[in-house]
Amino acid sequence: MLILTRRIEEEIKIGKDITVKIISVSDNQVKIGISAPNNVQIFRSEVYDKVIQNTVEATKTASTVKVDLSNYKIHKVK
Amino acid sequence: MKITTQKFGEIEIPENMVIVFQNGLFGFEDYTKFVLLKPDNSLFFWFNSVENPEIAFPLFGLRMIDEDYPQKENHEAFGIVTLNPDPLKVTINMKAPVFIDQDKKTGYQEILDNENFSLYYNLFVE
Repeated sequence: MLILTRRIEEEIKIGKDITVKIISVSDNQVKIGISAPNNVQIFRSEVYDKVIQNTVEATKTASTVKVDLSNYKIHKVK
Repeated sequence: MKITTQKFGEIEIPENMVIVFQNGLFGFEDYTKFVLLKPDNSLFFWFNSVENPEIAFPLFGLRMIDEDYPQKENHEAFGIVTLNPDPLKVTINMKAPVFIDQDKKTGYQEILDNENFSLYYNLFVE
């Protein structure tokens, strides 16, 4: 992994189209601004990993689990 | 064309039923062709990869749960359903919807940056 030291307001370029800027730093948090083309998707890594895990779980259970829904109704968002 | 599904075995579908996901699904970027099946007796749509029969799961329309769920023009938002023998433990993914344009037969998946939408929303109540 490439490790760079940056100060507040300084930037990093990833290729010619992506810029990462350090906005602010506090005790245990860094605020980062990212400029990238629309077709570049940006995610928090832990969310991205959980999304994949969810799809894998759905795939694993899909063909094997039988569920009787006859006495249940859809749980609507209020 | 013939496709193999885990749920329905080998089935014959017209080629124009194939839905193209140019970027695939998160974690499964290599697979771009899917079919959306709706068995008469099923509450769910079944989403099957044409290229890999092991990638298949139920989908459910997110507007059926949340009337205000964000949708893009001509695209319907579906949530991936994780089944469980206990209906109260069946969940739907509201965080990373699958958007499908049924006319153009295209689709894509998105992750919504909104903490109100859960990855594991309980789909049923008694």
